[in-house]
Amino acid sequence: MAQNLLIEGLRQVVGEANVLDSPVHLQLYQYDAYLEERRPDAVVFVHSTEEVAGIVRVCNQHGAPFVPRGGGTNLSGGTIPFRGGVVIEMIRMNRLLEVDTANLRARVQPGMFNLELGNALAPLGFQYLPDPASQKAATLGGNVAENSGGPHCFKYGVTTNHVVGMTVVMPDGEIAEFGGLAPDTTGYDLTGVFVGSEGTFGVCTEVVVRIVRLAEGVKTMLAIYDSIERGSETVSAIVAAGMIPATLEMMDQLVIQAVEQSIHCGLPLDCATVLIIEVDGLKDDLEAQTEAIVRLCKEHGAREVRVAKDDAERALLWAGRRGAFGAVARLTPSYLVCDGTVPRTALPAVLKKVAEVGEKYDLKIPNVFHAGDGNLHPLILFDWRNAEQKARVMKAGMEILALCVELGGTISGEHGVGLEKMDSMRLVLSEADIRSQLRVKRAFDPKDLANPGKIFPAPQEVACVP
Amino acid sequence: MSHDLASLRRQLEDLVGNSHVDAGPETTAAFAVDGMIPALTVRPGTQDEVAAVVAACAASGAALVPWGGGTAMGMGNCPVRVDVVVHLDRLNRVVEFDPDNLCVTVEAGMPLARLQEMIAEKKLLLPLDPPDGARVTVGGLVAANLSGPRRLLHGTARDWVLGIRVVLPDGERIRCGGRVIKNVSGYDMNKLFIRSFGTLGIITEVTVKLLPMPAAQASVLGLFPDLSGAAATAEKVLASFLLPEALELLDPCALDILAPALGRSAPGNFALAAGFTGSRETVERQVRDLETLISERGGTVRLFREVDSVRIWDAVTNAFGALPQDPLRVLCMVAVPIARTAGMMASARAGATGSGLTAATLAHAGSGILWAAFFPAAGLPEDEAVSRMVTTLLALREEAATVGGSLVIQEASPRLKERVDAWGKPGSSFAIMRRIKTEFDPQGLCSPGRFLGGI
Repeated sequence: MAQNLLIEGLRQVVGEANVLDSPVHLQLYQYDAYLEERRPDAVVFVHSTEEVAGIVRVCNQHGAPFVPRGGGTNLSGGTIPFRGGVVIEMIRMNRLLEVDTANLRARVQPGMFNLELGNALAPLGFQYLPDPASQKAATLGGNVAENSGGPHCFKYGVTTNHVVGMTVVMPDGEIAEFGGLAPDTTGYDLTGVFVGSEGTFGVCTEVVVRIVRLAEGVKTMLAIYDSIERGSETVSAIVAAGMIPATLEMMDQLVIQAVEQSIHCGLPLDCATVLIIEVDGLKDDLEAQTEAIVRLCKEHGAREVRVAKDDAERALLWAGRRGAFGAVARLTPSYLVCDGTVPRTALPAVLKKVAEVGEKYDLKIPNVFHAGDGNLHPLILFDWRNAEQKARVMKAGMEILALCVELGGTISGEHGVGLEKMDSMRLVLSEADIRSQLRVKRAFDPKDLANPGKIFPAPQEVACVP
Repeated sequence: MSHDLASLRRQLEDLVGNSHVDAGPETTAAFAVDGMIPALTVRPGTQDEVAAVVAACAASGAALVPWGGGTAMGMGNCPVRVDVVVHLDRLNRVVEFDPDNLCVTVEAGMPLARLQEMIAEKKLLLPLDPPDGARVTVGGLVAANLSGPRRLLHGTARDWVLGIRVVLPDGERIRCGGRVIKNVSGYDMNKLFIRSFGTLGIITEVTVKLLPMPAAQASVLGLFPDLSGAAATAEKVLASFLLPEALELLDPCALDILAPALGRSAPGNFALAAGFTGSRETVERQVRDLETLISERGGTVRLFREVDSVRIWDAVTNAFGALPQDPLRVLCMVAVPIARTAGMMASARAGATGSGLTAATLAHAGSGILWAAFFPAAGLPEDEAVSRMVTTLLALREEAATVGGSLVIQEASPRLKERVDAWGKPGSSFAIMRRIKTEFDPQGLCSPGRFLGGI
């Protein structure tokens, strides 16, 4: 009965056709790119800030949890409706509202894909810098919720460095503006606090982002190594030489082989690793920078360094990297993506230990990672039909995260905690740290309705009860 | 001193040693906040001592204000109460310097200038350049979100802080962020404390990322007979491929103050100053391009290379420090959308002229930030001077608000602050700010009253 009232309330806000509650429809919204599933009670398509506010008010009245959902590419279970309730489908709020080149800002609805924004800005000579590998299917609202990174964040920072304002529907249905076109808004930096809150502070319905001119020139290189250690040493050597390339990306042999089978971008199948290096900026010194980097790669044991001659060659190199996660699906029915991060110089050590974890648990762990910022993505391969194997995978994943923390890093660089890493949070956070974060959560969402059951582990006292 | 404060004093002395607690107006007057003299000043020597001090204050209901270099103490509204100033000057150690990973961790009381000196030995720098960098502490830089001309290319503290440690208002110690450059393990708590002005606790340790020092640097100064020539050139630069680190508009009064560094200029001149860093090739190319842009718009060019370039930015960054001291002067920062910056400069100057005040203004032209200093004419009675200041500031704030901006007072007499709120009216997000404050500081003991909306 209560259930019917909730659905009825939702329909009154957005109309019959925009509320889905049949089992078939609900099944389509019970998963994302992580490994767990939970069924929502309803899915609602929204088209405006006012509609979102109306829907959230209805949820609030009925005490129903709600989860905003963009492209559903989340890797940590962030969009899974863990306690049921309402999935707010943002995908139709996908318009570019304004490109303001004089003020170097754009105003965007959250359902727009990251790549679509890039494609709309490029003809004007501008770009939005954060570029998660999933940019074809990941929305800007999702990027905001997860504080997404991407290959270019070593030089240019992550989502939070490029989001300057937003409109938010708070968990009680009130509409608030954070930040805006002008810098240094007075009061607490709520924009900064909201970015990366994984849907637990409310629903972002409009985003103001910083845009910058497209770089005058870009040079992309591919360095090929017979030793993964030499490859990761090169990364530190480039930084030590005082250079900050736009990207420093690595893939290991298993990933290269999978990528090559699916995308055919000319990667050698017998090498241990490849390093994709890109420098950008003013044209005047790109040639010199490229030469210096090629020299460093060779000094550190690269057997070959290719420099992309034109846009087509460059695009092919990137297609390989961006397609890596998809290509690995050829190797296995499922995989767990780890997202640990270490200080860059610890990369060789952590890669060696990840390989040891693979041997210990008898699992294949190909690796693709953002070497410049020390963010690694070991992909632990398994078959979801094999429960015993999945249990080993979860243990191995936890062990890899613990390794990252031991080496001075953390458990998530860009994929978020979601459901996946709740139990690992105590590796990096003290009880006091967790309590302080929960204070912020309470301030935003005292009834715990916005994406509940995520990020924070159960209180220690309870967790200890057998 | 009330009985409670006398007992708190003994507790604090037990915690940090007698010599690090001061009482009585003759010694604590140097730590007055907007004229309000604290009963006690305490100088904890470790982060754990800070925690113990804050816990003791919380238990006895004493209001506290953290103090770093004291450069931002003019900001904000007059506090409701100041019982204890927690001076962090003894918290000035390097916790860990990791040049290979381009990051450093220091205690909050470390002066920024000393940090820069230390990391310069490894050819690294932190590209944050607040005014008065010799006195600013790293913790103060973060707590007040101070910035300077270089924010154009490098952003502000929020873009460089990787992690902080904080003592919360109840004395509990927490860690936010870490030392890696990508980190989404839980909420981004760094952002909550950056620019929170000591209202949510005391920042005790900061980890920042660093940049390699550039191979070359140069600055170009373009002098124009009017503001529009300088502003139009700035607009051209922003629409070009050029990547200046800083792009400043200077009015005649600012140019006058800066004459020792920049050289004399014709009366009434405005200037556009641009700073370039990078490889020799890119710096040279940018200098050439900007020289052309300036000449095309009727400006004359002055060029400063390497050490001269460093010297002039030092002067520009600290320009207002060189202004004459006057108890009635008001310093404010206006933040507007980038394209409105030059317009705000014109309005600030016109507003001052209309009220018979003198204004010195300079603007971060590519960032939407205008700094303005207002002075009363000599001999103007104090009441009249304050009234005219109030009128001018409110009109300017109103204009900034119409384009979504703000005017924040950086320094003013308590008399003026009684009549003009330092921050202006809070917006639609204030309810949540208030709830955050209540969650963290339910007793309202951390810097009470100094922040937006009476927080």
